[in-house]
Amino acid sequence: MTSSPLRSAPPSTASRPRVRQTVRVPPPQTARGAVDAALSACAGGDPATFGPVYDALAPVAHGTALGVLRDPDHAAEVTQEVMVEVWQTAARFDPARASARTWVATLARRRAVDRVRAEQARRDRDQRDVDASVVAGAPRDVVVEDVERRLEGAAVRRCLDSLTATQREAVVEAYYGGRTYREVAERLGAALPTVKSRIRDGLGRLRDCLGVARG
Amino acid sequence: MTGSAACATVWGWPVADDDPTRDAWDLLPAYALDAVDDLERRSVERLLESDPAARRALDEYRDVVAAFAVEAEPPAHVRDAVMTRVAGTQQEGSRAASRVDVPGAPSTPAGRSRHRWGLVAAAAAAVVAVAVPTTIAVQEHREVVRLEAQADRVAQMLADPDARLVTAPVEGGGEATALVSGDDVLVSAEGMPAPGEGHDWQLWIVADGTPLPAGLMPAASGGVSRALVEGGAGHVVAVTLEPAGGSARPTTDPVVAIES
Repeated sequence: MTSSPLRSAPPSTASRPRVRQTVRVPPPQTARGAVDAALSACAGGDPATFGPVYDALAPVAHGTALGVLRDPDHAAEVTQEVMVEVWQTAARFDPARASARTWVATLARRRAVDRVRAEQARRDRDQRDVDASVVAGAPRDVVVEDVERRLEGAAVRRCLDSLTATQREAVVEAYYGGRTYREVAERLGAALPTVKSRIRDGLGRLRDCLGVARG
Repeated sequence: MTGSAACATVWGWPVADDDPTRDAWDLLPAYALDAVDDLERRSVERLLESDPAARRALDEYRDVVAAFAVEAEPPAHVRDAVMTRVAGTQQEGSRAASRVDVPGAPSTPAGRSRHRWGLVAAAAAAVVAVAVPTTIAVQEHREVVRLEAQADRVAQMLADPDARLVTAPVEGGGEATALVSGDDVLVSAEGMPAPGEGHDWQLWIVADGTPLPAGLMPAASGGVSRALVEGGAGHVVAVTLEPAGGSARPTTDPVVAIES
């Protein structure tokens, strides 16, 4: 058991995030409502209804998993687990809270990050007695050019320019590295509350730029 | 827009020096990025359970995080594998005892203990049947026979004068008790927090340092959750927080580990 204490971070002095009202932009795909409806409908238990849901959403799961894992085989395994979970838990999908795309991306990211951390823990165990300093973090390095390439076509790309360099760095490390903000702070040599604030402010700016708002 | 310091007492958790809901609010963006550790995750999920404004804020952050995803077509064999499993997998919330079929059978090459899953999951369902027999709607005769066999085993264990009891605190709240009788272990967890959205508590048998999946803890009834771990005696029985349906290998540190 290596979990850290519940609240070892000094209390942040920053105010809590505000939910700002922004103008809602039209969804990027006209099919979005149809996919949401198809996902809700497949909760009825008929496996035949899942085919179109798979076809619409598996690319979201796979793309999300690839972003974190990079390895196509690992990503394919996670995609498979996620899409079975989508079927099993379809009744939990609440279109009032998320689009089907966001819901699936959330599930996929969770599983991909879990896998990265399990792999990391395994690697740490294997290497503990060899030479931890040689391998520490190396396989999870986030390379800027690589990130640029992976962001091609991402809705968030145009908005990343609205972030400060340090906000962008923290968010990108956390997103593509699958890291906790604690790990991000260690890598960047920054204080915990600072990194927490950068992530919060960074996501806040992206939210405003993307026009994400839910009453 | 959020709860005040008064919320600090809602959960009955020890509150040391500051308002835990404020900490949890601060962690919402990192939570949306899965950039929190397990304990922080649970503290955020307690906030989410009580505060609709926090849920709305999280939903927005999740939209932002999802906007990073660039869609990519998975290999064709994934579709075949998923559709095959979908055809044979009960959905959550359907009428049959879903736990019997639900635990996401490990799809990774490392899923070496695949055959255990059905058995152990059935055991977990059976323990529920013991506790609240009238609420289980199991239609199939075969299933009933299997569940009754498990229920008999639990009854036997409870009556076994040689059974041993081992108790350990659960990290994050509650207490777990292992009743060891013969080869089997009946695990009871009292006062454990809910696993949270998209998660389950999963049991493991740790034999020779290797954790083998041993089913999911069923939802608590009256604050207590029980599961039968067959063949667990003499090994360490552990519980971890896993994505809904369970994992082939543990992805988090155990909240409790009992030497049975």
